Amino acid sequence: MSQDQFYTGGCLCGAVRFEARGEAVSTSHCHCDMCRRASGAPVVTFIGFKVDDTTQTKGAPKIYKSSAFAARGFCPDCGSQLTFQFDKHPERVSFNVGCLDNPELAQPTRHLFAQEAISWMKMDDGLPHQEGGSGGRS
Amino acid sequence: MGLHFEDLGRADALDRGGLTAILFAMTDTRTLEAGCLCGAVRYRIAGPLGKQTHCHCNLCRRASGAPVVTWVTVAPGDFTLTRGILRKYRSTPQGQRGFCAACGSQITFDALNLPDEVDVTAATLDDPEAVHPEKHIWTGSRTNWLIMNDGLPEREAY
Repeated sequence: MSQDQFYTGGCLCGAVRFEARGEAVSTSHCHCDMCRRASGAPVVTFIGFKVDDTTQTKGAPKIYKSSAFAARGFCPDCGSQLTFQFDKHPERVSFNVGCLDNPELAQPTRHLFAQEAISWMKMDDGLPHQEGGSGGRS
Repeated sequence: MGLHFEDLGRADALDRGGLTAILFAMTDTRTLEAGCLCGAVRYRIAGPLGKQTHCHCNLCRRASGAPVVTWVTVAPGDFTLTRGILRKYRSTPQGQRGFCAACGSQITFDALNLPDEVDVTAATLDDPEAVHPEKHIWTGSRTNWLIMNDGLPEREAY
């Protein structure tokens, strides 16, 4: 699917840039309240990689510890939402797909926290819905 | 204007038409509370909601990290920061985005050539169901896997 793909991305102002190479571990839409608040968007899409397959090529995100088990990274200069990482999986990191230079390289496979979806943000893409999240497995 | 408890008390004495008028006013202009993920920024909308729009532009996508951002236009006088401050980023010569410096939540968009409007992100409202999106804009930049099929009008640009 995404094997051996090369991804580049970064924030709106350009202060933070990153790259990823290799196979995406997961690509998911998330409808949870926290992702919506952080982004200001009705749904957020993440693409997960092994940390070893990623490189910060410019700047660094500011980290906000958003829960007891995860942290989110954003650009301190423009606020762009950039990363999500589970504490128990420091070897993996997810990027916000909206920050990819070409978000169409991502191929979402599922909807997480579908029960929290806003009524007007139902997506008609035929992908499976699950009530919870990835449970830190991806 | 909002509906206050004094109005509810007076409603008992009103005829049916008056009560209907008050209920209409309540649904049209109820106060909406809102804020960022970490809680450092809170704001309130006390007034009617204007344009309610899904935006697919590249800049909204970068800022949010999400495939689409839904905006609600309100009058600047109806928007009140009740806690914290917004950090502003000038994203274009005429556009300025406001976000929480502590968690990055994207909260406002100001078009400097439209001083009578402020846009807020529907997803930072405590009750995003209060919003009823009316159209899609910048669909020329839409991500191909974002399939909503909601029947709303679409504009390639603004």
